Amino acid sequence: MRRLRLPGLALALPAWVWLAVFFIAPVAVVFWYSFGYKPGLFGTHATDRLSFDRYLEVLTPTFFDTFVATMNIALTGTALCFLIGAPMAYWMAVKAPPSWRGLLLALVLVPFWTNFLVRTIGWQVILSPEGWLSQAAQTLGLPAFDILYTRGAVLLGVVYNYLPLMILPLYVAFDRVGEPLREASRDLGAGRFRTLWRVTLPLARPGIVVGVLLVYIPLMGDYITATVLGGAKGNMVGQLVAAQFQTAQNWALGSAMAITLIVIIVLSAAAVGAALWLVSWPLRRSYRVRLDSGVTQ
Amino acid sequence: MPGATTETTTGAVELHRVTKHYGAQTAVDDLTLEIRPGEFLSLLGPSGCGKTTTLRMIAGFEHPDAGDILISGRSVLGTPPYRRDVNTVFQAYALFPHMTVAENVAYGLQQRRTPRAELRERVSQALDMVQMRGFADRKPTQLSGGQQQRVALARALVNRPAVLLLDEPLGALDRQLREEMQLELKLLQSQLGITFVFVTHDQDEALSMSDRIAVMRDGRIEQLADAQTVYQRPVSAYVAAFVGKQNFFDGTVTADGGAVEAPSAVLRPTDGITAVAAGQPARAAVRPEFVELGIDPPSAAVNRAEGEVIGVAHLGEMRQFLVQLDESTALLSRRPAPHSPDLTVGQRVWASWRPESVQVFARGTATTDTSGYMPPPTIHSDEQDHPAHP
Repeated sequence: MRRLRLPGLALALPAWVWLAVFFIAPVAVVFWYSFGYKPGLFGTHATDRLSFDRYLEVLTPTFFDTFVATMNIALTGTALCFLIGAPMAYWMAVKAPPSWRGLLLALVLVPFWTNFLVRTIGWQVILSPEGWLSQAAQTLGLPAFDILYTRGAVLLGVVYNYLPLMILPLYVAFDRVGEPLREASRDLGAGRFRTLWRVTLPLARPGIVVGVLLVYIPLMGDYITATVLGGAKGNMVGQLVAAQFQTAQNWALGSAMAITLIVIIVLSAAAVGAALWLVSWPLRRSYRVRLDSGVTQ
Repeated sequence: MPGATTETTTGAVELHRVTKHYGAQTAVDDLTLEIRPGEFLSLLGPSGCGKTTTLRMIAGFEHPDAGDILISGRSVLGTPPYRRDVNTVFQAYALFPHMTVAENVAYGLQQRRTPRAELRERVSQALDMVQMRGFADRKPTQLSGGQQQRVALARALVNRPAVLLLDEPLGALDRQLREEMQLELKLLQSQLGITFVFVTHDQDEALSMSDRIAVMRDGRIEQLADAQTVYQRPVSAYVAAFVGKQNFFDGTVTADGGAVEAPSAVLRPTDGITAVAAGQPARAAVRPEFVELGIDPPSAAVNRAEGEVIGVAHLGEMRQFLVQLDESTALLSRRPAPHSPDLTVGQRVWASWRPESVQVFARGTATTDTSGYMPPPTIHSDEQDHPAHP
């Protein structure tokens, strides 16, 4: 009697179905709409005539300016999250007593227990010129605080909202490298920084990539943080997309914008990856050791 | 000859009254040890005896609370691991998974900014030495345990350290491979003339390779001597039990001070007992290989006992018998297979042993009486006698 064998793929079937229905299909629909047009005042989209016209419409100076501003916030925010999150994750995984780790992880996750919008608006209250931070500064004889609706305020909110997404994968990555490998490195003559550079960071690379993408991708589409803390200056590309769908009721143009955004996110992430790979190439080459073959085997 | 004085101290390791605590626990307790240049010294003991902590202090991963450590005649107390002239072969090898075998071996030389040509040359030599030259471009995950072991050895030795530290490096290998590696390690050590400090809980490993063995107990050295002395002249029942197998007889020293009287036998060593006073509790020991068996009562033997064979085991070159002397005492005897008597389970036999094979140790009155064969103290394979983060 032959036993019924399920292919390994069957285990992943629920996930595939989920992805197909809730991710691939919607994106395909959006892709399809982006070639259509808005048929009149009360219609949102029509696809009986297909063209690239909506994409030409997307490439207006407004969209371009907003896009550059968004990219600016996203890249700076991701870099800040990495620069702040990486030392924190390293400390948690390597230096902090193991008994503290559960508590530290919980503390990192505390902001997630509150609604995204609510905690962002919370910062608005703190940073406003009438807020307690400003008042405290004034009691100390300092000038009134006026950073709300500035780029600084937006970045502060971005770091606050996205830092846990950077810390968690980095923590896991640093933790997995393990003390024995660091000890081996130091035993072989490498100091702390050489060990970090040649052992810990290369081995944590998958976690670093995950952390950076986990912050960068949602940040490109996020406009709540920027709107709440940046005001009129905090115009993000995500907002333009939403406006086309909700206010202007032009789904065709909104779809074209969304697709453009997706393409550019993928391309920019790939470009950064390729640039890093190229820049580090001479360095990696210098570490490579190839013995002359055929000398003694 | 100029430089002769430094030559003699290169590779010497000196621990002077070293103490290390982890919280309330004392891992190493006022330990003094001098390791000679070019010597193969084993730190032997059960888990928790402080041997790994001692090794880690020499490597620089732990710092003593008191005392001094000298390597090649110089104190290394403030010296970080990466500036010490020692290298370590780690228990789980700790090879870098993202580097090839050659890159792993080259790592230490790269830290010393060795010129490229010399680096290649030395990496090749080191890999040749452990017969891993053909695996230079593999990643460690593509190697077997024994191969990883060799790479770890090459990675440490390529730096030509004054002292090589080995932390139970053979623990993860199967028995046959382990015995092979023991021979190879010993051979390498005698060729290179580097001081080897070898941590192990395996007495066979320590006996087969070491010039000297330091048997450790509770953070102190119980006995420091060559393998033969540790085996034949153990200073305490603890060492006697830990190194090799033993038959123990707990009793009291007779009034004339010439023998130990135990419930199942009287054990008489060659010349009177000096270690324990007459009438005091004592523990006598006889190794299984000194116990002879025969059907007829041995006329000339001073030490003898009668019993029943309850077990026979064939160990290849040796045959092993278990003889029940009384309800609570079983005696273990090992005879070379060609000369061993043909005994079967259930037979009545006489056991006898020579006076020179009897050893007598002091025994506290508090310790419970044990008699007959006693296995060595229990050892856990996942030896970890120090917390990961003190």
